[in-house]
Amino acid sequence: MMLDTLVKCLEKSSADHVEMRHHRRHTLRISIRDGKMDELNNGFVEGVCCRAMVKGSWGFGSTTSIEEKDVVKALKDATSLAKASKPKKKRLVKLAEVKPAKDDYTTKMKRDPRKADQEELVSLVRDTDANVRGFSKRIVSDTVVFAVIDDDLAFASSEGAQIAQRIVRSIGSVMAIAREQGNLTSAYEAIGEQSGLEVLEKTPLTQIGQIAAERAHKLAAAPVAPGGMFPVILENKIVGLLAHEAVGHCAEADLVYGGSFMAGKIGKKIAAEIVTLVDDGRHPIGLGTMKYDDEGTPTQKTVVIENGVAKSFLHSRETAHEFKVRATGNARAWNFEFDPIIRMRNTYIETGDYTLEELAEGIKEGYFLKGGLGGQADFTGEFMFGTQEAVKIKNGRLGESLRGVTISGNAFEVLKNVDAIGKDFIMRAGMCGKEQINYVGMGGPSLRTKVLLGGVGK
Amino acid sequence: MTLQASTQLAVKTCEKLGADEVEAYAQRTRTVEVVFERAEIQSERVKVQQGIGIRAVKNKGLGFAFSSDLSKQSVENTCRNALSLAKTAIPNPEWVSLPAAQKLPKPPTGTYDKKVAALSGNDILNLAMRAYDAAKQQDKRVEIDDGKFSAMIAEIAVSNSHGIDATQKSTNLGGYLVCVAKEKGEVSSMAFEYDISRSMKFSPEKIGKSVAEKAAASLRPKTTESFVGQIVLDSDTAASILLSPVLSSVNADNVQRRRSAWTEKLGEKVAVPQLNITDDGLLPNGIGSSTFDAEGVPHQKTSILAKGVLKGFLHNSFTANKAKRKSTGNATRENYNTLPLVFASNLVVEPGTKKLDQIISMVDKGIIVRRFSGNVRPESGEFSGIAKQASYIEKGEIKYPLKETMISGNAFQALMNIVAIGKKTRPTFMNSYVPPILIDRINIVSK
Repeated sequence: MMLDTLVKCLEKSSADHVEMRHHRRHTLRISIRDGKMDELNNGFVEGVCCRAMVKGSWGFGSTTSIEEKDVVKALKDATSLAKASKPKKKRLVKLAEVKPAKDDYTTKMKRDPRKADQEELVSLVRDTDANVRGFSKRIVSDTVVFAVIDDDLAFASSEGAQIAQRIVRSIGSVMAIAREQGNLTSAYEAIGEQSGLEVLEKTPLTQIGQIAAERAHKLAAAPVAPGGMFPVILENKIVGLLAHEAVGHCAEADLVYGGSFMAGKIGKKIAAEIVTLVDDGRHPIGLGTMKYDDEGTPTQKTVVIENGVAKSFLHSRETAHEFKVRATGNARAWNFEFDPIIRMRNTYIETGDYTLEELAEGIKEGYFLKGGLGGQADFTGEFMFGTQEAVKIKNGRLGESLRGVTISGNAFEVLKNVDAIGKDFIMRAGMCGKEQINYVGMGGPSLRTKVLLGGVGK
Repeated sequence: MTLQASTQLAVKTCEKLGADEVEAYAQRTRTVEVVFERAEIQSERVKVQQGIGIRAVKNKGLGFAFSSDLSKQSVENTCRNALSLAKTAIPNPEWVSLPAAQKLPKPPTGTYDKKVAALSGNDILNLAMRAYDAAKQQDKRVEIDDGKFSAMIAEIAVSNSHGIDATQKSTNLGGYLVCVAKEKGEVSSMAFEYDISRSMKFSPEKIGKSVAEKAAASLRPKTTESFVGQIVLDSDTAASILLSPVLSSVNADNVQRRRSAWTEKLGEKVAVPQLNITDDGLLPNGIGSSTFDAEGVPHQKTSILAKGVLKGFLHNSFTANKAKRKSTGNATRENYNTLPLVFASNLVVEPGTKKLDQIISMVDKGIIVRRFSGNVRPESGEFSGIAKQASYIEKGEIKYPLKETMISGNAFQALMNIVAIGKKTRPTFMNSYVPPILIDRINIVSK
């Protein structure tokens, strides 16, 4: 229905090229903290945006009104901004060809959250909270959250594209805080998939609650891992972060343009031969999965690094034209308030065939680093991120658990040093911030390499 | 419908539907922004946003519903939704009530500027270009990576069933640039500079000049050996490393849930005696200043640290009720579609007496950090990460820029190891006003 309104407004455009998007995001959020119901929310945010191009210059307008007159006003705003800013722009935009699609897509799901029994979900969150707090006396605080983000998207362009998509994401998380003799430590675990409520059957919320509680309990009394360069096993949950933060961003064509690590490296060896890294717009459960991106380009599985060799960058229509390649479907917008920019979708390292024990066998003295925390990286590949737990490895055997520390290095050095890849592949939910935030998938198996641990040394 | 009419309608409707208590918060913003991407102006945006968030309470069950549609029908639907959620929610035994109406203070000066409100897309474009030109003029080797300049006018209204019924308008003007310097195939580390203001007192030239200087100064970096030494934190890094754990620790919600390291430290010495911190929601021209908070409670000035002693915590009405005291007016909402949390209004660190170069001259062996990319764990104070845009200091002089260097330590210990506090504060993120701060005994690990 909104598509019709968009198409109608498009007819009133005087710009050379126009893209219009309607977005209605419905959110349900349940949160219990320390046994008390903290949030039971739902609602929607809806709006329309227009991106207009005049002689190679973009302008953008958005509104939370979906009345035709306000949408037309946003279109006029966008068009006049495009005209006015043209003289100041040194780089004028051209777009790679994409066949305008007419399509309708919905996330594959078994249990549609729109038919959810809210009371059932509330009790699920309540039970998880009770389990976490009951785990041990050390657990002093917790937060359990379950949320469903349900997006209705419509896209229409002056080229004739008309696309409707419904993308459903279900996310749960547990944060547990433990205290032991004045020592406070936190542990965090999450689930999240592009799917309906069946995600809760696959990995029950209570299960991640158990992991978080156990870890917080254990680490409250543990010392912090020391600093220095060590051979390590990066847990699958951390590998996704590495693939996304440190490597993936360097493949985003806008950053390549700015001189990222991968600039000029297509066809060159930039990682160990056993490493293949992809950004996949259609991973079945990835949080970043969509059939079309926010420019109407069909998404695809884009191989960034194949057997250690740089293969492809991630493109919008604009950068694809500049780099003379096909658009990869990586132009994404957080909501109707933003124009699409180049973003990853689901970024992961392909699976190998080692068991965890086999990965450990190759390490004389090192660590098994578990549980990712926030990470950051520069487009040079320099990265840092937090880890929750560092399990000592001595002569191939796992030993005591220490509190995790920040690890850092150059991602491509780390990838060159990968000498074994596990078979415990997982796809995880992530949020990525790059001017605007967005949902992404991050994945991979555990693997063996070397990193710098930045210990809070004594 | 005006914003206030929509919040008043929501209160009436929910009361009619049988809610015990109700609060409605509505917001309307208009933002004009210019975005730099890949070294050039990429896009200009005009964004108009509005919406309403309604909290309904029934038998201590709390429901919250929101909508971006302010029509009468939508507001009424949202009311029904909020009430139905309130009935589904597990009652919270700690719930006391929404805040009562109080006399509001005189509005702080300098929070609304007609000139900012009137800025057009073209005006913002000109501000952005002035910054861009200033950067290029400062140093030819500099290349802008990205940046954004924006002006926002915001209007909010809060009404509740205890007589709160208020509105306010505000303006914000902000901009930042990120750039690198390139020379003979070498690319410097990324430099960042920004300015933020409620009024036209805003200098794009300063942003451009400073970001270019920073980028160029970080060319040809060297490594240093690992050592334990002093670090000079500029306002931004002091805010992220030292102030973010402070803010988290004085948040009454964290205190009550024993997530704060300072849960039992009220009245105790937690920092050096030179350190004084207040939260001041009425600070003239303050980034976080306004007459009332996100629940309609008057803003005020609250002492947090005085002479290094922990004086108080920050409350919204929920945590205040729990502690049987008055709210400090620190309810904050990201937007109409989120519940009010506890946050600083303006977290002000009292400036010291020394200029930045005087502070640098005090350092025998250490580094200055202008960007920090790392983790700070607010519960424990542990921090570790990469010092970016850092330089090595020896015998009171900056010697050379550093390659990426790891720093780690504990923020709470660092508060006890503050050597000097700078003279000049500037607004940083978290609405905090922070001067440069020199701290001792930090691990500096070369890569």
